Amino acid sequence: MIFYAGPLVLGFILGFIVGSRVKINPESKLNFTWGSYITIFIAALAAAYFLGPFPYYEDLPLASGFLAGIVGIIVGIVTLGRYGREQTEQ
Amino acid sequence: MSTILKLFIYPAALIITCLGINTILGGHITPGGGFQGGAIIAGAIIFCIVVYGIKDTPLKFSHDFMSSMESIGALLYVFLGLAGLLFAGSFLYNLGVDLYSIVPGYIQNIFNYPDPTHAGIIPYLNFAVGLKVMVGLSAVVIAFLGFKNELDEDGEGIEEIE
Repeated sequence: MIFYAGPLVLGFILGFIVGSRVKINPESKLNFTWGSYITIFIAALAAAYFLGPFPYYEDLPLASGFLAGIVGIIVGIVTLGRYGREQTEQ
Repeated sequence: MSTILKLFIYPAALIITCLGINTILGGHITPGGGFQGGAIIAGAIIFCIVVYGIKDTPLKFSHDFMSSMESIGALLYVFLGLAGLLFAGSFLYNLGVDLYSIVPGYIQNIFNYPDPTHAGIIPYLNFAVGLKVMVGLSAVVIAFLGFKNELDEDGEGIEEIE
């Protein structure tokens, strides 16, 4: 099976840029735990499957750019962002 | 805003962002592209700002971040154009595809987008435009809300700012 690197790499970079900007204000009432991010990932996986791949892309049965985007967002949040109130207080 | 909106909008904004990324990446073979995808991502960010307010929004774009992303997007576009001018003699020549066979093979490999359509530099141009539009459209709303907050704090009219 051939994996096309283009959408995977560029999608990851764009997702990482947006994900690194997630800074949850500790004074706000927002509190998203790890479970919420796992739920968002599963929802994104389902959305990518139902979107389907681009024409001519036959490597995966889902939208690979969409999937790379959500992976990049979550990696960006974990590495450079502040994802929840508990993590901010530590 | 209501609690339901505050619970729903942040996860929805992350999914909308992914849709924008997908639109940017499909610009060379499907309807969409850099501007449309960037506008979708900016829509997700504006959605968060409208619901949570500019102070509490989880997706925060600082002034430095916005100016650097705008610059990176514009410079990437110009450098891709200048690379065409340098290696093929015309601005924005598609070095990855090389229709006139005037570019050495190794240059062609560098600028070729690794996918089955071999679109050359077009997806990279979409990427650059997407970055610029994402930040540019968000900056408009962030600036307007920032001015509004400043006015509210002063309790004065627009003349005070001017």
